[in-house]
Amino acid sequence: MTALTWGLKRLIRQPLRTALSLAGIAVAAAMLLDMVMLSGGIDKSFSDLLLRRGFQMRLTPKGTLPFDTEAAISGAAEIVDALRRDPAIVAAGAVLGTALYGRSADSLVTLFGYGIQPEAQSLYQVTAGEDLTAGDTVGVLVSEPAARLLGATVGDTVTLVGRLDPQVVTAAVGRRLLVRGVVRWLYDYRGQPSVGTVLPVMQRLAGQAAANGASLILVKAHDDAEVPALAARLRERFPQIEVNSVTDLVRHFRERLVYFRQLSYILGSMSLIVAVLLIATLLTIAVNERLGEIATLRAIGVSRRTVVAQVLAEGVALTLAGAVLGIALGLMTARYLDAILTSFPGLPAAFSFFVPRAGSLALSAFVLLVTGSVAGLYPAWLAARAPIAATLRAEAT
Amino acid sequence: MTAPPLRARELRKDYPMNGETVHALRGVSLQVDQGEYVAIVGPSGSGKSTLLQLLGGIDTPSSGSVEVLGTRLDALGDPELTRLRLTRLGFIFQRFHLLPVLTARENVELPMAEAGLRRAERQARARELLDFVGLGQRADHRATQLSGGEMQRVAIARALANRPAVILADEPTGELDAATGQEILTLFRRLNRDGATLVVVTHDDRLAGEAGRVIHMLDGAIRD
Repeated sequence: MTALTWGLKRLIRQPLRTALSLAGIAVAAAMLLDMVMLSGGIDKSFSDLLLRRGFQMRLTPKGTLPFDTEAAISGAAEIVDALRRDPAIVAAGAVLGTALYGRSADSLVTLFGYGIQPEAQSLYQVTAGEDLTAGDTVGVLVSEPAARLLGATVGDTVTLVGRLDPQVVTAAVGRRLLVRGVVRWLYDYRGQPSVGTVLPVMQRLAGQAAANGASLILVKAHDDAEVPALAARLRERFPQIEVNSVTDLVRHFRERLVYFRQLSYILGSMSLIVAVLLIATLLTIAVNERLGEIATLRAIGVSRRTVVAQVLAEGVALTLAGAVLGIALGLMTARYLDAILTSFPGLPAAFSFFVPRAGSLALSAFVLLVTGSVAGLYPAWLAARAPIAATLRAEAT
Repeated sequence: MTAPPLRARELRKDYPMNGETVHALRGVSLQVDQGEYVAIVGPSGSGKSTLLQLLGGIDTPSSGSVEVLGTRLDALGDPELTRLRLTRLGFIFQRFHLLPVLTARENVELPMAEAGLRRAERQARARELLDFVGLGQRADHRATQLSGGEMQRVAIARALANRPAVILADEPTGELDAATGQEILTLFRRLNRDGATLVVVTHDDRLAGEAGRVIHMLDGAIRD
């Protein structure tokens, strides 16, 4: 009978105590896993979202980040043409983002509009109907929330109205368009009503036609490894434009959400401390209850090493079983927490705070295993040092 | 000439208690020969259990020495002393001290597992020992499911597991009723008849009466 099987028998044959211990460890493990997922998940999710269609760079007005302000890049079509001629670039496309209205019965509803170049887009996925073509000036793509708001579906006609500016007393531009498809905009927040047209149509609706304005330009390079050099070259070539690689954007994003990372470190550390204290307390109580038993074992010739191994094995077995339960619990709670956090206004619905990755699962399991072993050290030492004769005398009285 | 299983020379044991020194043993010397059945009797506090603990190497004397089969215990480090207890000595306690989460068979197997016996070998030996103490049919019952007498019989089987040179028993019938105590008495008689060397600390006159030699203790010393 090895120390491990002995420890396991003890755990199995005291099911209530073991179940309560496991529940406590599982909660601490779940919290640790969630915090590990949170600490790396934001970067991973944001990076994956930006690279969904392989565009590794975003060009925006100087000093801004994508859709950060209403500033626009002037002469967007010419810049895109120039970029498309660059041999290091596979694709480039301009995007204009603007607020606008849609007519619904007798009232206007607020929408968000994307002006896109369909031949080079990374912003949406068609879920029903068909995509726009480059020269389609009468078609429009709508998101599910926008379709509901406008009461329209594929094949229907909708009226979009450019934003009314109270400072400028001009009549708003209106346009009747045919719904070509229903799409899921990758960067929309949950429930956001968005529509998309080809760039020139949206420029007219937004009053950007004369300036040929765009909010950003997406660039896809031939090779990921070339991106830093290409970005540097584009910065030199277009000094009036901000050139950001996905890595740069992730860094900016990380700076903005630094408090999430700090929170995850603090809560992760706390959950580890709780796990250590919990396991150490459980094992210390178990050892103290069994001092007589341990003294007997030592008296009949069981070595200190076996006694220590048995206590450590019990701690590790508890930790491993608790970690398995904790991973399942952590994944469930992460989904729930993710749903809450991604419902914050302005965050893309496709974004995740908690990204389960093999690495984070393995890291959590490893950290917990070390935790279980460390937590077992004090009770193991206590068990090893139990004075045999004095304990047996105390037991006999 | 082979060394006796047990030899003690001028054993003294002092305990500090409430700022004073208690002299639990005051120079005890004895020798137990192969196949002997020795009972140590005396009133509570006379030092008989302390003597047994020193003879068994689970406590250290303040002075004097103990030899088991010619090996001085004070010359051994903890691992060697633990090994000697495992392989040369068998212990039986008043309160049985079985592991409650293990079955009778697993309790008997435990010292053999510690000694490194293979699974099949120790299972066969455990079965044989449980049959010997009359508990073959209770082998797979947990210790907590056994009566006091049954637990003590399992403890005896456990003490015999590694074929010890000496069996040391501390009040083995102390927790048992008269009828159950008689069963243990009978077992001890059989063990001794089969050649086992027994040293038993007891208050039980019947148990002492079975012994070939009775040592009377009083105030930490042997009186006869």
